Amino acid sequence: MKIGLEIHLQLPTKSKLFCSCPTTADQPNSSVCPTCLGFPGSRPSLNRKALEYGLMVARFLDCHMNQKIWFSRKTYFYPDLPKHFQITQYESPLGVDGHYDLNGKRIGIWRVHIEEDPGRIRRVGRSGEEVSLIDYNRSGIPLVEIVTAPDMSSPAEAREFINQLTTELRYLVGISVQDEQSIRVDCNISVGEERVEVKNVSGLRNMEKALSYEATRQAKMLEAGKKIVRETRRYDEERKVTLPAREKEFEEDYGYIGEPDLGEYEIGAMAAAIKLPETPFMRAERLAKQCSIPEATAKQLVLTSMNLADLFEETCSKVPPEKAVQWLLGPINSNWSKFEPILGEKKGEIIDVIKADSDGRINDNEAKMRLLAMVGMAEVSTSDEGGRDIEVLVNQFLDKHPEVVKDYRTNPKAANSVIGHLMKETKGRHSSKEIVECVNREIEKRV
Amino acid sequence: MIARFDLDWLKRQNERHRAFCEMLEIQPEGESKFTFSAKDNLCTKDFQTRAGSRILEGYRPPFDAEPVKRLRHAGGLLLGKTNMDEFGFGTFSTNSAFGVPLNPFDRERACGGSSGGAAVAAALIAGHAALGVSTGGSISCPASFCGVVGITPTYGRVSRYGLIDYGNSLDKVGLLSRNVSLIEKLLPVISGPDPRDPTSCCQTQLDMSKDRSGPIAVPKECLEGVEPKVLDAFNAAVQRVSAEMGREIVSVDMPSLKFAMPAYYVLATTEASTNLARYAGMRYGVMGNEYHQHFNDYFSGVRTECFGEEAKRRILLGTFCRMVGFRDKYYLKALSVRNTIIQEYASIFKEYAAVASPTMPMVAPRFDDIKNMRPVDIYLTDFLTLPPNLTGLPHISVPCGYVGKMPVGMQLVTPHWEEGALVKFAKRWEQGFEYHIPEVGA
Repeated sequence: MKIGLEIHLQLPTKSKLFCSCPTTADQPNSSVCPTCLGFPGSRPSLNRKALEYGLMVARFLDCHMNQKIWFSRKTYFYPDLPKHFQITQYESPLGVDGHYDLNGKRIGIWRVHIEEDPGRIRRVGRSGEEVSLIDYNRSGIPLVEIVTAPDMSSPAEAREFINQLTTELRYLVGISVQDEQSIRVDCNISVGEERVEVKNVSGLRNMEKALSYEATRQAKMLEAGKKIVRETRRYDEERKVTLPAREKEFEEDYGYIGEPDLGEYEIGAMAAAIKLPETPFMRAERLAKQCSIPEATAKQLVLTSMNLADLFEETCSKVPPEKAVQWLLGPINSNWSKFEPILGEKKGEIIDVIKADSDGRINDNEAKMRLLAMVGMAEVSTSDEGGRDIEVLVNQFLDKHPEVVKDYRTNPKAANSVIGHLMKETKGRHSSKEIVECVNREIEKRV
Repeated sequence: MIARFDLDWLKRQNERHRAFCEMLEIQPEGESKFTFSAKDNLCTKDFQTRAGSRILEGYRPPFDAEPVKRLRHAGGLLLGKTNMDEFGFGTFSTNSAFGVPLNPFDRERACGGSSGGAAVAAALIAGHAALGVSTGGSISCPASFCGVVGITPTYGRVSRYGLIDYGNSLDKVGLLSRNVSLIEKLLPVISGPDPRDPTSCCQTQLDMSKDRSGPIAVPKECLEGVEPKVLDAFNAAVQRVSAEMGREIVSVDMPSLKFAMPAYYVLATTEASTNLARYAGMRYGVMGNEYHQHFNDYFSGVRTECFGEEAKRRILLGTFCRMVGFRDKYYLKALSVRNTIIQEYASIFKEYAAVASPTMPMVAPRFDDIKNMRPVDIYLTDFLTLPPNLTGLPHISVPCGYVGKMPVGMQLVTPHWEEGALVKFAKRWEQGFEYHIPEVGA
């Protein structure tokens, strides 16, 4: 089975691709202007930030970057498309021939380009009396389109690919989480020789279902000795089946011409100047190698948050990686929403506790209590400062029970009563070794 | 410069010549520095903007086109919107949905197009600047037929923000006026970069004092197929240029010019077919009422009813040119022809100050004669204005003689961004040649 995807993601710019309308709006048709409504006489001017984001995506996917680009008009009639042509890129995408390594498997990237989104159609009213309303807030929102080679071999793998990709891009350019749920994908799938395109599927779950349905349909047809014809289908979310699309579409039929209002852009220098940060999966791979931890563990760290990964790297400079994993993927990861906000203030303290545990100065229970206390999930009395409180407790006890010191002279086992008392008092916040040492030290002073 | 005008007089003139398709209703108070008009494809807040098309009936844009805005700021009073061929598709302004403007020298004759109304307004009203738009000669042609001066600046010189597109890579906003003096004052006003039109942002600064010396080239190809009396008038004018202005006139070969026409019609109609896609009875202009229909049927219904014949012809031509299999053969080929012609002009400009030719191969034709012309015959009459337009070169048309009472135009072309030399040439020409003013009633 071969699956190739055309993925459309919204780029997180403040304003639209070709006008200065905000990309967020409360009311329908409130973020619109002559340009994104396609009024006669209006003109596009390119949002530089959107171009920059697009270039980052193309660079990240290791594309061969075009030096010069221009935009094209893709002409078709549809009520949500104000100009009845979409400004996109045809002959000169930002980048071509890239790849992404999905868990060690290379997925080819054919092209990356940017384009404007059309408006959105809403059907309202009772069945049979429905009316179509159009909201142009989305018209002109910048999208990046990523076209992959047919290198995925199962619907689950396709889903995993988009999952990982969106995680990476969220970190890279800051695409939003909602977008991941409303992600729009055109899927190409072939079980036998001929491919079928399932167009305009929204959301990851629908995509996986559409692909699974289509794979089964094609396999059954082949089993029955039928031929699969090259066609465009759509996914019916209600009935969970793919159906032949009413209108046949082929890319070439759009009658592409260059967009004369935007001219050509020399993007070579801009693309080369982009510095790519280390993305979550790149970091997981490095951490796994560098700290000799399992790859799954490394992924868990970066997927929770890159801040957790930061904390991990800092902790590892003080304690062995296993110890860091034990605490960071234990109590801290489970309560990450509480720990993340206090990192700025208490990062050093967290690392100190883990270090104390690692050195055996405190036991696991004590370490856990202290960590949870930082986020208000456990109580630790404020006088409990490091090891000094044991000293205080020992001396308080010895003051009250001078006979212990007397007995100790003849029988060192007399110290056990002090030790027992302290263990009880400190509720296991200190290791027994620590307590024993402290008791012996303090009694010796009095002997 | 104080312009006074009598609105009632203008209304009477307009009934005779139909220059305006929309104009002021009541006489404005006070005085303005000058009066101007805008071709109906330039957006204006205070007048409907229909570009000569029924499909835009009732459309009042929420903004002024940049050149209109700049002329208002300079103290100009906008009198109204001038009539034109639908979306600029025509040579005689006979393709308007709102009446046909009539020639100021002879009402039986066309005033040229597509900025026909603009040329008539320029001819009728003293001290008036008419904003025109040229895609393939739509300023030069009516200027020539109506005996006025018309300048078409370099492509990208004047912002197209608010201009209703015909062919975006060809459209240029320019000025028409009775003589060059107001053009000299106002061209710098409408020129200059505008961030809302990125193609206006890479221009070199307009230098009105910059002149070009050297001989003037007259391509042999531009004299073939010109009506004998028009040719005589042009030759006499060229003699004057040589004798009185002391400019050497040299006959040259520019063999690539003959390819300008097919290349122009491919590019212009291709772009137009995408530009006109947006007019479908939604969002602005005409609204249909058959809402129960599938959108394709609704769109087709409105477009069939509201586009004129020439608009439909050009949409079909343009759509054909960008279809699979024809795109390389026509559209991409036309792009390369354009470059070839640009190169040929560039090599001529190394030796010559400018290229001169008659503006049109004829004087304004009679309406009865136009009826007998096939579309392709009409396209052929543009062969002199198409080369500078296709290549984005600035050009000016000045009246240079008369055949009977009908004016003949002379067109001068200079290198990109050198409009200053055109204006200087026209000023010197006007010192020795008197333009006829049409006889207009009270």
